[in-house]
Amino acid sequence: MSSLRLLLSAFRLALVSVRKSGVRSLLTALGILIGVAAVTIVVALGEGATRAVQGTIDSMGENAFTVTPRSVARSGARGQRVPPLTEADAAALTEAPTVRHAAPLLSSLTQVSYRENNTAAEIYGTSLAFFDIRAWKVDDGALWSPEADSIGGSVCVIGRTLVQELFDGGDPVGQLLRIGRATLRVVGTLEPKGRSPFGQDQDNVILVPLATMRAKFYPTAPGQIHRVLLSADPEARPARVTEEITQILRQRHRLPDGVENDFRVRSQEEFRAMQQQVFGVLEVLLLSIATISLLVGGIGVMNIMLVSVAERTREIGIRMAIGARELDILLQFLLEAVLLCLLGGLAGALLAALAVGGFGQLTGWDMRVSWRALTVALATSSGIGVLFGFLPARRAAALDPIQALGRE
Amino acid sequence: MALIELSKVGKDYASGPEVVRALKEVDLEIGAGEFVAVIGASGSGKSTLMNILGCLDRPTRGSYRLAGVDVSGRSADARAIVRNRLIGFVFQGFNLLPRTTALENVELPLVYRGVSARARRRRAIAALAKVGLADRLGHSPAQLSGGQQQRVAIARALVTDPPLVLADEPTGNLDTRTSYEVLALLQALVRDRGLTVVLVTHEPDIAACASRVVTVRDGRIQADERTAEPTRAARLLEELGGAPE
Repeated sequence: MSSLRLLLSAFRLALVSVRKSGVRSLLTALGILIGVAAVTIVVALGEGATRAVQGTIDSMGENAFTVTPRSVARSGARGQRVPPLTEADAAALTEAPTVRHAAPLLSSLTQVSYRENNTAAEIYGTSLAFFDIRAWKVDDGALWSPEADSIGGSVCVIGRTLVQELFDGGDPVGQLLRIGRATLRVVGTLEPKGRSPFGQDQDNVILVPLATMRAKFYPTAPGQIHRVLLSADPEARPARVTEEITQILRQRHRLPDGVENDFRVRSQEEFRAMQQQVFGVLEVLLLSIATISLLVGGIGVMNIMLVSVAERTREIGIRMAIGARELDILLQFLLEAVLLCLLGGLAGALLAALAVGGFGQLTGWDMRVSWRALTVALATSSGIGVLFGFLPARRAAALDPIQALGRE
Repeated sequence: MALIELSKVGKDYASGPEVVRALKEVDLEIGAGEFVAVIGASGSGKSTLMNILGCLDRPTRGSYRLAGVDVSGRSADARAIVRNRLIGFVFQGFNLLPRTTALENVELPLVYRGVSARARRRRAIAALAKVGLADRLGHSPAQLSGGQQQRVAIARALVTDPPLVLADEPTGNLDTRTSYEVLALLQALVRDRGLTVVLVTHEPDIAACASRVVTVRDGRIQADERTAEPTRAARLLEELGGAPE
């Protein structure tokens, strides 16, 4: 009880002296303000970006996998050979117990025009399974028929960006698009999906049956494809799925034991981990820079407190003469430093909330100052107050009353 | 029982390789209700004596009993509590906190005693009224004259009701009239409330107001004389004539 009262009265004294040196308090707190704002903004940005990326990774589909060819160095051969993946590989992979769907994929960039409008877009040649794997839904019209899926046809499905760029928002279903040197009919449009984890516009796409792709846009060796997209049973462990895929493909590619895989299997989990690693490194980097500014602010507080103790030596002497104990003086100056930091911290958190809100509006990301960030910021700033206030406060408390009063 | 009992008190200071013996074998007893002036040239040891009497410093040798308690070997914190409970200080330079109102200055010793805000305020107002400054509660030291500042300092010394007031050259920065006013106030406190006052001065006419004069020289008490009839400061004030401040 008496220690609480001691703390309260020391706090009151600190408050009084912070108020009395107005401009100086303000400038000192400014250093902390900037530091806390920087830390809070960085944490909020990191959290917002992670959320945004998480969302787009989830949009890849549930428990999704990708198989791509992988160059292998062969002994005796010069250079490297990229062994092809084939349509037959994709079909064979549906035999794996945990695999639900497998879609072959050929992709390329192409020029596309409708009347006088003209733009570049990604073109995918694939099968209807693709739409199940990615969970891409048709917005308007329909997907191509199973018949077109197997033998090809002059049909395509387009993403929202193309609808806007080519048709000015009008209805594209049934219209003829000039794609490269071919003409294809739009049978359906896709729901908007936003950007991919790697920044691609996933709505700037044309999807055509694989056979159409090969015949009209991307001639290949028979059956060759760029990659296989797969979706697995949601309950299946990614490692298990990867193992099954590997087994089937090694067998099909006749790889003897001891020879490396000539393909690579990536799970969505891997993407997630990769992404988190990248963001983790980035966040640590930014956070350390922000922390340095907080540290600089703390040193500013220590500096001002040392000056303040030197200037107020006589005041300290008076207080000691009339009965202040060392602890009273220590607490007064310590709380003064903490108070300065806390005021700066609060203002910094407020500034950060405004900045983050503005940034969120600008980018359309889901940005907010989390309670975690706020708590960390305020705890850190008070901690800095204690840390950097302690030395000056101890110096004040250790003064000899006779010398402090100038009685020698 | 004497309020102050110094027995064979000595104080050494290290001054480079040399040891300065500021006080040598001082014996002094001061009873409750006495008004004692301590005089001496600068360097005589009277400041050291005052620092020890005020528990601002510890004697190197000997014992100091204040109100029956040996305070000579106490820790810094223990001496802070003794100062807060038993001693009121009045300094030559007033030593008020700047940019702080008279009321807040007077409340300060009570803050360190842990008195509640309301009681602090009540007692500080009463103390300021006693020194005639009831209408200056919200003034900061810069807004007060020297005499008024010294009266605020006296109020601050008295607000804890200490048995002992130590006044170190309290009139050193004041003109004659104001000096007499402060002395009259101290004399009244001794007479009416049984306060013990120890006053350091180098002015004979100020020392003449005390009931006992202790002369310090070369770290020893050279003379200790009772004044048969102390000068009444209030009478000096009347003789000066004119309107008081």
